[in-house]
Amino acid sequence: MTSSWFQDPTLLAAMLGALLPFVSFVLIMVFTRPYPKVSAAISVASISVSLVCAIFLLSSHWHLEHPIQYAGKWLISGEMYIPFGFLLDELSLLMLTIVAVISFLVQVYSLGYMAGDPGFARYYAFQSLFAWAMMTMSIAPTMLQFYIFWELVGLASYLLIGFYYEKFSASEAGKKAFVMTRAGDIAFFLGLLLVLLNFGNLNVLDMNSVDVTARMSPGLITLSALLVFGGVIGKSAQFPLITWLPDAMEGPTPVSALLHSATMVAAGVYMFARIFPFYSNSASAMAVFLAIGTITMLLASTMAMVTRDIKQVWAYSTVSQLGFMVMGLAAGSYFAGVFHLTTHAGFKALLFLCSGVFIHEYETNDMFEMGRQGGRGLKIPMVCMTIAAAALSGIPFLSGYFSKEAIMGALANMHNPIWLVAGLLGAFLTAYYSFRLIFIILFPSKIEKVHHAEHGGHASGHGHDAHHHAGLYWVMAWPLIILATVTVVLGFFQTPLENFLVGGHHGSGHGGGHHAWLPWVAVGLAVSGIGLAFLEFGRKGASQVGFVERVEPVRALFAERWYMDHFYRLFLDYVIYGIFSNLFTRNDRRVIDGGIDGICRATVGGGWLLSFLQSGMLQYNLMVMFAVLALVALYFFF
Amino acid sequence: MEFANFPFLSAILLSCVVGLLVILFIPEDRKMLIKWVSLIFSGITMVLSIYLFFAYDKSQGGLQFVEKVLWVESMGIYYFNAADGFNLPMLLLTGIVLFTGTLTMWELENRVKEFFALTFLLVAGVFGVFMSMDLFFIFVWYDVSLFPMYPLIAIWGSTRKEYGAMKLTLYLLAGSALILPGIIYLFVNSGLNTFDVVALMQPGTFTPFQQKFAFILLYLGFGILAGVWPFHTWSPVGHVAAPTSVSMIHAGVLMKLGAFGVLRVAIFLCPEGWQYWAQLMAVLATCGIVYGAFVGLAQTDLKYVIGYSSVSHMGIVGLGLATVTVDGLNGAVFQMFAHGVMTALLFSSVGYIYDRTHTKMIPELGGLSRTMPIASGYFILAALAGIGVPCLASFWAELLVFISAFKTYPIRGALAIFALVVGALFMLRVVQRTFYGEKNEKFAHIPDVPFGLGIPRMILVAVIVLFGLFPSVMLDVIQVASIPFISGLP
Amino acid sequence: MNSLYTYLFIAALLFSLGIFGVFQRRSLIGMLIAIELMLNAASINFMAFNRFLAPDPIVGQIYALFIMGIAAAEAAIALSIIVAVFRRLRSINIERAQELRG
Repeated sequence: MTSSWFQDPTLLAAMLGALLPFVSFVLIMVFTRPYPKVSAAISVASISVSLVCAIFLLSSHWHLEHPIQYAGKWLISGEMYIPFGFLLDELSLLMLTIVAVISFLVQVYSLGYMAGDPGFARYYAFQSLFAWAMMTMSIAPTMLQFYIFWELVGLASYLLIGFYYEKFSASEAGKKAFVMTRAGDIAFFLGLLLVLLNFGNLNVLDMNSVDVTARMSPGLITLSALLVFGGVIGKSAQFPLITWLPDAMEGPTPVSALLHSATMVAAGVYMFARIFPFYSNSASAMAVFLAIGTITMLLASTMAMVTRDIKQVWAYSTVSQLGFMVMGLAAGSYFAGVFHLTTHAGFKALLFLCSGVFIHEYETNDMFEMGRQGGRGLKIPMVCMTIAAAALSGIPFLSGYFSKEAIMGALANMHNPIWLVAGLLGAFLTAYYSFRLIFIILFPSKIEKVHHAEHGGHASGHGHDAHHHAGLYWVMAWPLIILATVTVVLGFFQTPLENFLVGGHHGSGHGGGHHAWLPWVAVGLAVSGIGLAFLEFGRKGASQVGFVERVEPVRALFAERWYMDHFYRLFLDYVIYGIFSNLFTRNDRRVIDGGIDGICRATVGGGWLLSFLQSGMLQYNLMVMFAVLALVALYFFF
Repeated sequence: MEFANFPFLSAILLSCVVGLLVILFIPEDRKMLIKWVSLIFSGITMVLSIYLFFAYDKSQGGLQFVEKVLWVESMGIYYFNAADGFNLPMLLLTGIVLFTGTLTMWELENRVKEFFALTFLLVAGVFGVFMSMDLFFIFVWYDVSLFPMYPLIAIWGSTRKEYGAMKLTLYLLAGSALILPGIIYLFVNSGLNTFDVVALMQPGTFTPFQQKFAFILLYLGFGILAGVWPFHTWSPVGHVAAPTSVSMIHAGVLMKLGAFGVLRVAIFLCPEGWQYWAQLMAVLATCGIVYGAFVGLAQTDLKYVIGYSSVSHMGIVGLGLATVTVDGLNGAVFQMFAHGVMTALLFSSVGYIYDRTHTKMIPELGGLSRTMPIASGYFILAALAGIGVPCLASFWAELLVFISAFKTYPIRGALAIFALVVGALFMLRVVQRTFYGEKNEKFAHIPDVPFGLGIPRMILVAVIVLFGLFPSVMLDVIQVASIPFISGLP
Repeated sequence: MNSLYTYLFIAALLFSLGIFGVFQRRSLIGMLIAIELMLNAASINFMAFNRFLAPDPIVGQIYALFIMGIAAAEAAIALSIIVAVFRRLRSINIERAQELRG
């Protein structure tokens, strides 16, 4: 760092914003762990400062001419120089702000949601760790620093997903998340090494410049791009590493909100956008990404259509929206992907936080159960969730509409119409499963309504509870309202954002809306998806059985996540444990240890054999002595 | 500096020896006094080693704090101690592990006097090997450090302790039996009639054939102590059998002795042999990394798990040494340090748990986080360091080793990197089975780590985190030695 | 007949008898006697060499005297050992003394 770091407000803000959460993490872990309130105060205070810094940075650099870069030595080994620093350009500033906003809201919300939890202080420590890792990652100037904090993001989500460690499924989910993303990260790391060894530099700006094509052969670029994309596959839960994300719902709901909107899974797409020009050097790699994004998007949508768990629906929808973002980016539209990332962060956080209120209130994850117990009585969450679901489905003039249109535009520009068809199908399915959930909670079926009426007294009991926790309820409600406002308004900032982001990236074309018919088709499909959902779940006397659920094998296929987990389980059990682990262990016991023990036994046995010479018969010994002496004498004299 | 001529290195050795003697003169039953005396002397060694680490002049480089006295003129044996970039991290490591190990054994009640006396003898030998620049003394100190292991494990150990102690001693003596001929071979063939490493490492002292021959003897000999695959099986058994602080010293420091011996003796004296055998070293190291991770996956004993993770991590050291690059050497030495601190922390956490629950079988444990959150926290942090989480010390070491390994041996490097997933899987599996899950009623009454016993663990955690956040503090020292060494290679 | 070889032959015969006795006798006393035979064979050799070869007449005889002294001391120690063995084993048969058998 330069000596005058305190004189440069930009650097000061970046340092404060990125590093304060870490200070808070250390403080909580070392000193204030027994005091939950103090810990929460420290954490929220630090994230507030970060938020202020991030907004200050964004607003002061709204008209950014050149990326600002600061770097200081972190590590030098031989000729390798690993700096630690900050890169402030349009993308990182935007991401920094998103992360800070969502983290801040989630932490405030958690004050209510996590109140009274025995691990309250620990929770805030991990939240701070998460915020630190994610923000420092966002403004990393080199891919190595990016990778380092990327791993830390993985660690923080491991800790938070497995937060309820007493539940086996939670700790299992945390482990699964860590190991599966680790598998992707290995590819990422190898890809980075390839770039480092052949290009000699991992600076983000250098990787994005045209030098890459000059210094690396096309084949090598494709290979390294594919490997680096492995990281995206792991972190953003793309096909085939989808399944950790739905399991990650075992964490506390605010964590899911954080994980799904702005941090963990967004990190993958952010990485795609971060070195987007590097990726676009290889057309074949981009085609692979497009295919992966499409497969992911469709697979996850199908899974979301059959689950009963409210958080699972949003989890699958996250996966599918991430698929959308990857599709948008892979179709060549940098802006569409990033814009969808931004809007998605807003409404997905909102969806999870709303669901959190329901879960907190009814202590169940089953949406049918929520509907039965009178879920629609919770006005603010219900309204907010409907807004967010509408945004997710791409209903006009909500934020999701604009970003989805941008992606559709990019897809429409592709030569092959299949991508557009897949995208439109995805939009239809998205609308269907989101409103399936909304209608199930909003209009519980008739029989169950009686149920609900019987539980009227019970419901008022809840009301009493709600009154009792009124303060907590409002702590949880305010973030919802803010996010809902953002969701409604954000779409209209498309043009300024586009100018801000793409202004500096003229090379990367963005999918223009040259297809006037496209928004109509997309919106029409979304509305028909909602209509179908209404027919099946919303209208009076609806059977509340989806069209997919009528065909048992299909339902089973979707509900079992296309049997991907079964495959992983089998792979783990038979190949990793059954073959390698078992074989190596046996080798250790039998062959190596057996060999060594065999040598030892041979030595002991040899001694035993020789001991027969020690018969105790003195006269034999004497005879041998005499014979040997006689032989020695003979040898010397003759 | 007015201290410039103060023999710091000898002072470290002396404080171990004096500590040993003082303990021998204290009556058996004054247990607290013995513990305090060992704490004071180990504290002195730790402070001295920390001072040395930071007092080393990086801009000047080379050998510093040199103490050279001719001992036996006819054979050219010198009492020759010096510090350079390679052994300073090791001295620091030994100081830290000795001090924290002494604190960890604060609750020992059985034969306290003998235990601490033998520990000091062991550590004196370890310090001797690390700081000596004379082949004869390196070998003598090496054997001094091996001898106390047998009684330490066989008397205070657990779980098949006689078997473990015997296996360890036999293996290590077999190693010595390879080292001694190697050293004598070099001594005889140098024609210089000296055991001085600096004199012997002049280029051209040995022919390429002599280097190749001596290198393989020395590499295998020291490699046994470093847990090189397939000569590793003594180490898990020995770790399991040893008492806590001995496990800490053993896995944390003693295994480094082997790797350091490979560096200081084999690589320093036979650089051409090193380049010749590097391929083989890389193969064995990669096998160790992959193999250790997979075998660790199948273990049910906590200490066995750590033992096999050590095999895997020492494989990383071996891989770093095998690359013949600056980054590889840096990474290897850093990994020795980082792994030493990390395993020490792992063993001290397990030791606490074992002392209280009297079991270290993973299926019998479980849910410990609820009853002893702090003890679990230490273990989990060390386990995370073990799987290479960034901003903890061993991450940097692994990063450097993997980068250089991938550059030199792409396939073996990639395989080793893939083993990271398995490593993560088995460490997290242990963490999950042992610490997560329902509160275990069997252990509900057990208190968490008290403050006093927490101190050594806190020191280790602080070291791991500090060197993880500021790796250049360590690497700048190592580099001072590794860059000239690599550039001076023929 | 009065040549060196006669005496040497007798000494060799005595020595061989002694060796044979040591190997063959199972009784410790017998072995002791056989050892005495060997010592005497050595004495005869000394005397014979002294008589026929050495100019200085004293040395060989002194050695013979020494050997006698040593034989006496040896007999005393050996007999006490034998008594100790007998006390322990109730026998002086060498085959019974096998406690060091491997």
